[in-house]
Amino acid sequence: MASDHESKLMSLTEMVARVPDGAALALGGSFLHRGPFAFVRELIRQNRKGLEIIKQSPGYDLDLLCRAGCVAKARAGIVAMEGNFGLAPWYRRAVETKQIVLEEHACASLTAGLRAAAFGVPFQPCGGLHGSDLPRLNGWACLKDPYGSGQDVWVIPPISPDIAVIHANEVNEFGDTRIYGTYNWDRIMSRSAQRVFVVAERLAPVETFKERPEMTLIPGFMVDAVAVVPNGAWPGSCWPYYEIDYPEVESYMDEAGSLDAHLARAPELQETRRG
Amino acid sequence: MAEWSGFSYIVTNLARFIRPHEVTFSGVNSTLPMLACLLAKRAYDFEFVYINVAGGVQPTPSKIPLSSSDPVLSEGSTAIFANEDFYDLCTRGRMDLCFLGAAQVDGLGRTNVSTIGDWHNPKVRLPGGGGGAVMLPTARRAVTWRTEHSKRTLVETLDFVTAAGGMHGVVTPLAVFVKREGRLVLQSWHPERSLDEVVARTGFAVDARGAEPTPPPTPREIDALRSLDPQGQFERDARISIG
Repeated sequence: MASDHESKLMSLTEMVARVPDGAALALGGSFLHRGPFAFVRELIRQNRKGLEIIKQSPGYDLDLLCRAGCVAKARAGIVAMEGNFGLAPWYRRAVETKQIVLEEHACASLTAGLRAAAFGVPFQPCGGLHGSDLPRLNGWACLKDPYGSGQDVWVIPPISPDIAVIHANEVNEFGDTRIYGTYNWDRIMSRSAQRVFVVAERLAPVETFKERPEMTLIPGFMVDAVAVVPNGAWPGSCWPYYEIDYPEVESYMDEAGSLDAHLARAPELQETRRG
Repeated sequence: MAEWSGFSYIVTNLARFIRPHEVTFSGVNSTLPMLACLLAKRAYDFEFVYINVAGGVQPTPSKIPLSSSDPVLSEGSTAIFANEDFYDLCTRGRMDLCFLGAAQVDGLGRTNVSTIGDWHNPKVRLPGGGGGAVMLPTARRAVTWRTEHSKRTLVETLDFVTAAGGMHGVVTPLAVFVKREGRLVLQSWHPERSLDEVVARTGFAVDARGAEPTPPPTPREIDALRSLDPQGQFERDARISIG
């Protein structure tokens, strides 16, 4: 576990350099909202391969990594670009042509797996799933209630990402992390992962965290690395600072368009040069 | 008599499933249910608890987003009810009405959002499990919609059963189905189309006993939808043709 009294600040480049090929990464946010997209683009620039991506509702992030050939496996609930953009085209092709292995979940079964890891138990019951083909597909077990209610419950094995990567609003140098608006699934991701990396829009003074500690979603002692990348969730949103850049997502979706050109327009390049 | 478009038919008939004082949820990839919930707030005189995937609890968004998970949908909330919260609410039986997406629906109200073709050799890889497999069997009522009414969307046999359980209603541009005694039955159909057409374009056997033409949109429903989509962008994006 990380320490709580030393600076964890580094550049995005240094942060991504700590990710080995084949790492299992849980990515925070949901669809085009508050995803660690600058981090994902830097994975591509550093040519990471064989990654496992874990996220209940990935979209642009997983699609981009599939487009660049960085993914070996995805464990996901629902994958789409969302907004008014529909399916994630490069992800879809990667599954259809078997370039990647998909472990299809319900969002809540993936969460149950993360909870099993977070709670330190060998499996976690998950409500529902009755009548679905997903449990058989994934080889999940169904247990009878040992306390005699007569209910059967599906149990999900632990899912422990190597690294949870969270895009946050504010962070301090020790890693205390604040998110405004919904934190989606980021809390359970941070508790289930072996390590936590935080990319944040801006640094905030430690004093402000002491004034409102209940606003801290992830305490710094759980965080291993911190990078500050303004606009890093581009072309998605980061509430309440900026919204989805719809023209840029549209341009990304143009199959004749260039991935390099899209990556070259990213705001973190300015940061990387400075950092 | 006021006329329906495919778009207004789906949004308004989704809204008509919302009941007073209940907890009603709209999720990701669910622009039409999001509009239905906001329409019900503007067109109906009763209160209900609207929660959404953006963490919103009774939100008063300053604008209507293209993405149904946009954080603007938590504006005006007095709480943030994050993803684990609304799933747990549902699995413990406290979610009254849940809108869930589907690519295929069968006559039992089961859904496929996973694959067209064999799961292991897909012709089309679809978005996947999402909320359905857990929410459909555990919500008190679930309602889905299809923007295309055809034998490839309303099917006799699903390519894959992503979710099964408590489907209460299905809305297409042509018809409204509800579940009765374990099967989907026709509740009403588009008043400018025929019952024969509904039967001919549905892949599962249509039980039309007691069904009637859908009542026209009320002036308040029409005004509410117009206020939510004044430029017609949502209607254009939805690309709904009755066919």
